[in-house]
Amino acid sequence: MAATIPHAGRPVDRRGILIELGGTALVVFALTISLVGFHIKDISGGITLDLRIVDVVSAVAIALVVRGWMILMRHGYYRVVTISAGAVAAILVVSLLFGGAGVQFYMPFKAKLLQWLLAILSTGFAIGAALRMARDGRTAVAEDDGAASDKQVALMDRVGAQVQRNALWIGGFLFAAAACFPFMPGVNLQYLDIGVLVLTYIMLGWGLNIVVGLAGLLDLGYVAFYAVGAYSFALFASPDSPLLQELGLTEGISFWLCLPFAGLMAALAGVALGFPVLRLRGDYLAIVTLGFGEMIRVTLLNFYSLTKGPDGISKIPPPSLLGYSTESKMDEETLENTTEFHTAMGWEFDQADTTVLLYFVILAMALATNFFTVRIRKLPVGRAWEALREDEIACRSLGINPTNTKLTAFGLGAMFGGFAGSFFATRQTFVSPESFTFIESAVILAIVVLGGFGSQIGVVVAAFLLIGLPEIFRELQEYRMLFFGGSMVLIMLWRPAGLLAHREPTIRMHRRKARGGRAEAGGAA
Amino acid sequence: MYHVAYFLDQLINGVTLGAIYGLVAIGYTMVYGIIGMINFAHGEIFMIGTFVSLIVFLLLGLAGGVWLPLAILIVLLAAMLFTAIYGWTLERVAYRRLRASPRLAALITAIGMSIFLQNYVQLLQGARNKPLPPQITGGVEVVNTSNRAGEAYAVSLSYLQMLIIVLTIVLMVVFTVLITRTALGRAQRACEQDRGMAALLGINVDRTISLTFVIGASLAAVAGLIFMLRYGATDFFVGFLTGLKAFTAAVLGGIGSLPGAMLGGLLIGLIEVFFAGYFNLEYKDVATFTVLVLVLIFRPTGLLGKPDIEKV
Amino acid sequence: MTGPANGREPGGNGAGDGAGNGAAAGVRPLLTVEHLTMRFGGLVAIDDVSFQAADRKITAIIGPNGAGKTTVFNCLTGFYKPTVGRLTLELEGRGPIFLERMEGFRIASRARIARTFQNIRLFPKMTLLENLVVAQHNKLMRASGYTVRGLFGFGYRREEEKAVEQARYWLEQIGLVDRADDDADSLPYGDQRRLEIARAMCTEPVLLCLDEPAAGLNPRESADLNDLLTFIRNEHRIGILLIEHDMSVVMQISDHIVVLDYGKKISDGDPEFVRQDPAVIRAYLGEEEEEDLPDIVKQDLLADGAGGAGAPS
Repeated sequence: MAATIPHAGRPVDRRGILIELGGTALVVFALTISLVGFHIKDISGGITLDLRIVDVVSAVAIALVVRGWMILMRHGYYRVVTISAGAVAAILVVSLLFGGAGVQFYMPFKAKLLQWLLAILSTGFAIGAALRMARDGRTAVAEDDGAASDKQVALMDRVGAQVQRNALWIGGFLFAAAACFPFMPGVNLQYLDIGVLVLTYIMLGWGLNIVVGLAGLLDLGYVAFYAVGAYSFALFASPDSPLLQELGLTEGISFWLCLPFAGLMAALAGVALGFPVLRLRGDYLAIVTLGFGEMIRVTLLNFYSLTKGPDGISKIPPPSLLGYSTESKMDEETLENTTEFHTAMGWEFDQADTTVLLYFVILAMALATNFFTVRIRKLPVGRAWEALREDEIACRSLGINPTNTKLTAFGLGAMFGGFAGSFFATRQTFVSPESFTFIESAVILAIVVLGGFGSQIGVVVAAFLLIGLPEIFRELQEYRMLFFGGSMVLIMLWRPAGLLAHREPTIRMHRRKARGGRAEAGGAA
Repeated sequence: MYHVAYFLDQLINGVTLGAIYGLVAIGYTMVYGIIGMINFAHGEIFMIGTFVSLIVFLLLGLAGGVWLPLAILIVLLAAMLFTAIYGWTLERVAYRRLRASPRLAALITAIGMSIFLQNYVQLLQGARNKPLPPQITGGVEVVNTSNRAGEAYAVSLSYLQMLIIVLTIVLMVVFTVLITRTALGRAQRACEQDRGMAALLGINVDRTISLTFVIGASLAAVAGLIFMLRYGATDFFVGFLTGLKAFTAAVLGGIGSLPGAMLGGLLIGLIEVFFAGYFNLEYKDVATFTVLVLVLIFRPTGLLGKPDIEKV
Repeated sequence: MTGPANGREPGGNGAGDGAGNGAAAGVRPLLTVEHLTMRFGGLVAIDDVSFQAADRKITAIIGPNGAGKTTVFNCLTGFYKPTVGRLTLELEGRGPIFLERMEGFRIASRARIARTFQNIRLFPKMTLLENLVVAQHNKLMRASGYTVRGLFGFGYRREEEKAVEQARYWLEQIGLVDRADDDADSLPYGDQRRLEIARAMCTEPVLLCLDEPAAGLNPRESADLNDLLTFIRNEHRIGILLIEHDMSVVMQISDHIVVLDYGKKISDGDPEFVRQDPAVIRAYLGEEEEEDLPDIVKQDLLADGAGGAGAPS
């Protein structure tokens, strides 16, 4: 690490740096010249090419600047980076925010995306360099990069551990916040809808956490069970359903009856799929579950007589409450009631707004999932799941039936997926195969993995990051999935075990000390 | 006679489709063999291959008529080069740091990269389907008969299909020689066996893995070119299903085995085409995955994979 | 709560209540291996091996590397299905159990054969206590009403406390009570080995199979291991079958030794007999050069206290 000691007075390897910069420029140029440089444009009767050389040059320039900052950082020139990156960030942010309103100046590249990207990157560099500078000011001994990043990792580990240990408090607080959310001032229908969406994904994440986080089974087709749940529900709840029409019923069956049924169907689907494939090794299992997800979608799309194919099943009613239908009110209550829920919500259920009801239904369902998971983790079956994840061969030598144990996890995970699917159906009032693509599975899996394996609060955090934030910044809709994919990569690179990865034992022999991480060494015989 | 002709027609189609799956599957199987991860973004590399091929074709078209075989060669080389750079960058930026991490982390990163690349291409090139007019036309009539309605029904082996089959076979041969006879191939096999030991013996592991990605990506680019020539259109989403089926092919043939990848690709192509031709077009993907599940249950290591004895 | 676990006959209740088991002196065969053969493709890993392991005795399987020792274990514990052969476990008051037909996990749960592994297989990210509680899985599953009752918390807590008590007992035996709540992978190597034995004992086995328990241990740890194994045999009155390279362990504590070489049994008898068996000496020292070997090597191979062994003739 000799080369990384800052200001060591050693001659910097100029040739190496030039090669590095040149290589970066060349690679970025080669990457961008094809897809960025030429735009395939539709014209009448065919297609033609459009040259976008400016964007290529800008991309190369940005890459050079960023790489340059990285090199400077590595050699300890924090001040230079702070000033230059800060300046670039300031200029870009000002021009991006007020660009339309008069502060015009020459912008060498057109693509807004690149401008935002550079703005974010330069801000990051400026902050990072400034922090390093401050640290160097405090401590005379310069640390190398490795130690610094180790420290950072250790910090996140500690955060993860603290969060898990205080899960009761944090969970209680989050619950209180979630329960009050609909009545907070400034919460309008849009925010409430986002809340419902985030809670749905939290529930899905918690459900999948049983399979992936606890049992360590890589399921890339979780959306299949979500779909089975949604369709099982829709087929019995909607008056529009071909099944009910076949049976001669004109009224759908109540939400509260269909919900357990849908969960059961999903669990059965989970067991049916799991039985043949659960003996497969991890990656094979992943690909088979992925294939299963696609199979379900294709079947839903083509089994027209039951599912109405791409047309989907509509007219799914919202949940009833204490026998009162909440649906008829929907038509009378128009948009005027949407901002002030605190007045609309009372003990007269006739007045209750469907969205608030939906919000509380999903909140309750998500909490039930959570309690179930937390509880089952401390039961023998939960411990066996974790043991299977750690070492299946050892489990067999202890008399644990691996197939049955995995099937339980798969079936239960699928059941919660089915419940969430029912809720999805009732909330959308419409289901179609389009809602159950692979990307949904990927999103749910990403929530579990990014949050930190097995961490219940991690799932909440990740659901906010991945679902909540992009929904709030709807203006960037176009770039939403790009950022989604990108942040998945970045978070994994930064913290491969997930944001709040930390495992708390399911049972203790000694009481933990109030402070400090180590177990108390007391109680020895 | 009609039945034979129809069968022959389907066979030719199946083999061409199988060539595409097989070429993409090699990329999966090589990467899996060497670093034990499912490079989920490999389907997107194939998709980029189709786009680069299309762009180079258009460029050549704008530049004026080029002798067709030369044009194909230029497109082939350009697609391989530019796509390979994507493959290299993918490994360098996203996967290298995660080699020692839990497998799930690498897989999530690969899925993230896959989503990223799809949307990257969609943003840059738009979501609309991009057509390429047929470049190679004509062929040799193999069978000439009439169908049940008495209309003429001719089965021909087009020049395009011949090109695809020849190209695939040539690449396979070159590639097999590369793996079995060269220093790179030896280094690669050494890394598959034991990366730590290979490094101790002076093999540049990073470079070997990079080269694996480069080779995998260039073969995917060839598949992309074939796809463009055969099906004449692409969009940002073609990589997903093709990638999925190619991975299925790799697993079917026995992951880690190169002939297995090719065989698996061929089988998947044939199953898909024959199921669609004889039974039901809509459920052809269901049939493919059903076959995969059956193979995995009865022969978990795939058709040509070495049976791995559980080490206890 | 009269689970089958409590009504079990010989072999000790695990929790150290050895005095309650007043069965006759252990000379009857517990495990009988007949004509065991295992082929992998063309390779014959084990070739027609037969032997017996007695109840309440320590039986050792020794042999040079690649002799097929671990393969015998894997056949015995259901990880491999033997090509030919019969493996019979006989328990008092119960009919014979034919192991070659059973799935691996059933051999552990029904036949009550527990094992450890050559390269330790703990649950590394679970605590010591959790490792030992997981070993009592089947008992606890019944107690939790196969999860259904456990979810609501009826009657499960007491059983779990009992399981923790059993775990504490074994942690005391291996001297790791203080570290009960630490992750298993934070233990030093020797402790991990002993924890694995404790975990196997928590399944309340009738036969304990140990695959090279002394591998990688220093002499002091080896001695501790000897004490632990003798303790298990004497106090818990179960049969122990062990594979070992370390002759100091084998010669000191074994009641009976089976020697394998190239998949075949070459000797079978008590330690004194095996030590003097020319076939064993040939297998270990080679046919010709035996005289030329430095004394220290012979001593090493023929273990301590080998005064009577003398040089082979």
